[in-house]
Amino acid sequence: MIIDGYTTPGTQRETILSAADLLQQMDDVGVERAVIAPEDREIAVDHESGNNRMIKMARNSANRLIAACSVSPWHTDAPKKLAAAADRGAKMLVLAPMLQGFIPADDLVRPLLEQVGELGLPVYFHTGPHTGGSPAQVAIVAEQHPKARFILAHGGSTDHAWDMLAVLRHHALPNLWYELSLVRPWSVPGYLELVGPNRLIFASSAPRNDLGFELKQFDQYVPVKDYPQIYGGNIAGLLEGSAT
Amino acid sequence: MIVDCHTHWGTEWQERDGLEPTRWLREFDRHGVTHAIVLPHLGLIDAGNIPSDNDAVATVCAKSKGRMLPFCTVNIWQPETALSELSRCLEQMNFRGIKFHPWLQGCSVSDPVMDEVADAAGTAGVPVFFHDGTPPFSLPSQMALLAKRHPKTQIVLGHTGLFEHWRESITAIRSTPNVWGCMCSPHLAALKAILQGGDLSRLIWGSDQGWTLNDLIDYRLPLMDCLDLTDQQHQAIFSENPRRLLGI
Repeated sequence: MIIDGYTTPGTQRETILSAADLLQQMDDVGVERAVIAPEDREIAVDHESGNNRMIKMARNSANRLIAACSVSPWHTDAPKKLAAAADRGAKMLVLAPMLQGFIPADDLVRPLLEQVGELGLPVYFHTGPHTGGSPAQVAIVAEQHPKARFILAHGGSTDHAWDMLAVLRHHALPNLWYELSLVRPWSVPGYLELVGPNRLIFASSAPRNDLGFELKQFDQYVPVKDYPQIYGGNIAGLLEGSAT
Repeated sequence: MIVDCHTHWGTEWQERDGLEPTRWLREFDRHGVTHAIVLPHLGLIDAGNIPSDNDAVATVCAKSKGRMLPFCTVNIWQPETALSELSRCLEQMNFRGIKFHPWLQGCSVSDPVMDEVADAAGTAGVPVFFHDGTPPFSLPSQMALLAKRHPKTQIVLGHTGLFEHWRESITAIRSTPNVWGCMCSPHLAALKAILQGGDLSRLIWGSDQGWTLNDLIDYRLPLMDCLDLTDQQHQAIFSENPRRLLGI
């Protein structure tokens, strides 16, 4: 079963994509399930409605779409808001330091990271943007929060991608996974060599990318038939809480 | 005609193939790419090797029967040497443009010496091609201001802002008639927005082929197919615009 580890079906700017269209795109290329996350404006200023939209979309998808939520760490009651979203069905916390205005190592985010550990949700960190999007910044925070399970997204693409080989080679952690959307597909065999297949997660970031195009490109470098963990097993384990 | 406006005579290619472009051209033939701007690589990461790498780029391109169009680089931290090398490359060696990777080269687009380089490029009628999308030295806005100070010089954003600054690249292109955007590296949604919001007459395409030994054209050329370009757009981006920019 192929699972797309990150998509943003939305209504604005470059993330306009309905649930029906996403499901159709998945059907077209044999993707069974997908994680769905709020779009940029929701993550930045209106996470509550974004979370509700994702949860509702997931509930109406016959179990094919999996809701992720976001909470700004600037909220003084952020852990409570996260617990409420999880209670309604959210399976993963998404943090986007650039959109939400923090750097990963800021103590501001500590209460949320402690809460995800207690709730058993994985936390997905966007990387890439220059000030708060380095893989090193996520790796060091993951090291400080061993009870939380971290998904380092996008491999720092593009300029922070240079961090990745050092992180993978020297700072791999039992609570750190690597999501591959926006990672250049030809880089993935190098990742695989360093950390093996049980730490990597295929995702498209549709509609920023075309799901079918990305899947085909990744398949050339890391064949779907050889690595079921990358194309679904790992994210399924994280969302079910079984991956350790 | 398909012109790949962003390639490098990469260090790994140079180590493997020396100054022989046969394998390079074979890969281009396989993808239907007819011409390419060939930027340096070693010269961008090792200032001490700039003259010899400029020579290497010129030599390999000279063996391509006009298909590989060489761009040089200089080290603006040594202004006199930089301008002298620039003069050698443009006046004696027929380089078709100048390349800077300000992040790797550790130099600001706003450095006064860059103004002298831009002036020289304008006088010679060749474009200045930048890596862009990376602060603090490589932002589209910094390049747009340089372009505004030197309206006769064509300035190319080599990545149209990458993943983080592609919106800024649209503003830079729209606001500055001598700024060009090379559609190389942003994601699909960003490329769509650049196509809609930029100026079609100053958009070109590139693959970054040569930066590694991987076949980057194999990803970035079919990615452009996902844009469903009209014939007019295709012709402009892959052929007409680069021909106008490069005078070919």
